[in-house]
Amino acid sequence: MSKVVVVKYIGDQRNRPLTQSEYEMLLKAALHTLSGQGDLAAAVRRFLPGGTVGMKANCIAHRLNSTPLALADALMAILVSAGFKEKDIVVWERSNRELVSAGFTLNVSGAGRRCVGTDASVIGYSEDFYGSGEVNSLVSRILTEIVDVNVNMPVLKDHSVAGLSAGMKNMYGAINNPNKYHGNNCDPYCAHVNNLEPIKSKNRLTVIDAVRVQYNGGPGYAEDYLAYYNGLVISDDPVAADRIGLEILEHLRAINGQPTLERAGRPVRYLASAEKLGLGIADIKKIELRVIMIDRDGRESTGELLE
Amino acid sequence: MKRRTFMSCLGCGAAATIATQTGLFPPVINSLQNAFALGEPSELSSMEARHYKKLPGGGIECGICPRHCQVTDLERGYCGSRENQGDVYRTLVYGKPCSLNVDPIEKKPFFHFYPGTQALSLATAGCNVNCKFCQNWEISQSRPEQTENIDLSPQAVVDLAVQRKTPNIAYTYSEPTIFYEYMYDIAEAGHKHDLRSVMVTGGYIEQEPLRLLIPHLDAIKVDLKSIREDYYKTIVNGELKPVLDRLVQMKSSGIWLEIVTLVVPTLNDTDAEFRDLARWVKVNLGADVPLHFSQFYPQYLLKNLPPTPQPTLEKAYAIARSEGMQYVYLGNLPGNPAESTYCPQCNAMLIERKGYRITQRNLVGNRCPKCQLEIPGRF
Repeated sequence: MSKVVVVKYIGDQRNRPLTQSEYEMLLKAALHTLSGQGDLAAAVRRFLPGGTVGMKANCIAHRLNSTPLALADALMAILVSAGFKEKDIVVWERSNRELVSAGFTLNVSGAGRRCVGTDASVIGYSEDFYGSGEVNSLVSRILTEIVDVNVNMPVLKDHSVAGLSAGMKNMYGAINNPNKYHGNNCDPYCAHVNNLEPIKSKNRLTVIDAVRVQYNGGPGYAEDYLAYYNGLVISDDPVAADRIGLEILEHLRAINGQPTLERAGRPVRYLASAEKLGLGIADIKKIELRVIMIDRDGRESTGELLE
Repeated sequence: MKRRTFMSCLGCGAAATIATQTGLFPPVINSLQNAFALGEPSELSSMEARHYKKLPGGGIECGICPRHCQVTDLERGYCGSRENQGDVYRTLVYGKPCSLNVDPIEKKPFFHFYPGTQALSLATAGCNVNCKFCQNWEISQSRPEQTENIDLSPQAVVDLAVQRKTPNIAYTYSEPTIFYEYMYDIAEAGHKHDLRSVMVTGGYIEQEPLRLLIPHLDAIKVDLKSIREDYYKTIVNGELKPVLDRLVQMKSSGIWLEIVTLVVPTLNDTDAEFRDLARWVKVNLGADVPLHFSQFYPQYLLKNLPPTPQPTLEKAYAIARSEGMQYVYLGNLPGNPAESTYCPQCNAMLIERKGYRITQRNLVGNRCPKCQLEIPGRF
């Protein structure tokens, strides 16, 4: 049984991007619930015991629909409150250009939180290949050499090939040759990418931003197909987190007149492949789902995933 | 063993080492060693690609190779060098070579195409297949932002070739199909300066782009990696049938053609496969097409296999000759007699080679000095 927590902000009638403090409320509630720990530091340490923490952002859609700066700042504030030093936190992506385009400020060696792309001159890819199934890739040295644990921080969206782009698909941004692994709707390649040793061993937490969801036309930005869900999906099981993300995505597609991803020709089969590899739970019946609604004052109530 | 250690042991960055050793010309890029020593990325090209169509409902379909990638906004094709940007498909590598060297034409290898001449040789990042044995994987399996590139327009390439007095320009190392537009424009500009263009390719290209390209080329060398479809599927990550079709298209166009097969131990080294391959070439392309069998060195994803034993290559040679192929060569075996060209009629030595070096040349024009047989090729 895997546990997934969905936290939704219900503080406003009007849909809008969330602020850092609002994200902090959501993250704290989710971490408490997911860990079962009342103390925030203990909740954080349950998943991120120490060392250098990576935050893998998703910035392909630039400022329009990438991992929000406010979310990264919120998580960093929580990590710092849990005893991590800012300099031991690294926001990363495959390229500096993508990070900048999403609003992040690069920082390789200055004080404060680090922020760097794999393509920076000081980084690059692993010297050795990592393999799983037909996937053979070099992996970002941020993951192999710099961070001890990683928080995967994707944006929930439709993907023109994979169907679902969430946590597992986000790890394509950690390898040198993602273009080789998009065949057959990324199945089983997406599962195998996540089965590469550095990715499998260092990904400890998935935080999917589902505040504003690109329910069709992804992974780029398509203005006509955006819907607000106002939530985060959080789990230490990367497959289960994506499985719940898929429920949300299919729901938003349905209420906005889009066919299921299966009917749209991009069935999301890689989750089942991932379960077969032992990466987590894809069968929704085996996922313990907790949905928390949070108002502007931080009051929590129980909610439904698809209400 | 670490990648860099491995590479330095084998000295396999062959495409780059000539430039390094001879200090040829600035800027020369030593890409095979530097591909992953990343600097800040330079701007990629944004030239619109050729041979694609927009799809109803969004996205594009690339028509440059048989893969026909359907690519939506901000995504790339399998080659990693072409990107959909707002449903305009763009080549990211036009004018952005990552490898540039002067090589003997024999290194491509061409043995019947102006032997002893030099070729200004270039490549960009990317490839439309993913051979597990790739000898140049550090550029072929990279995306252009992962290699060190320089800005070099087609005219600048031509100017460089003129300046260096290299009569040939070779599109090689990675897969030139994926930098089709760049290759096409260089070749076109080169002909205006009497520079010949040679394409070193896996032949995994669509019919129409090839048809339009051939008039600007002077020779093509195709890596026919196997005569088995399953080998193409599992080892090459491509398809055999389109390659065979393109070989026939090339031959019928009249362009000079040579074929190379890399012999990989346990994967494509049976007598039956050598025989089938030689028979197919003889029947479909002719007995006078030069056929090279090259020795494999453990590389990339096949480090677990040994180098091809010399007897295996000699067996391939013998089988191809027994099947009637007239010009069979063995590659990566410096000093082997099968590097040299012999008259198929009287067995006279026509061109003696030691590695890429010609040590004796007895051809008279394009004829055997002994029996006067005309030798096919461009001499």
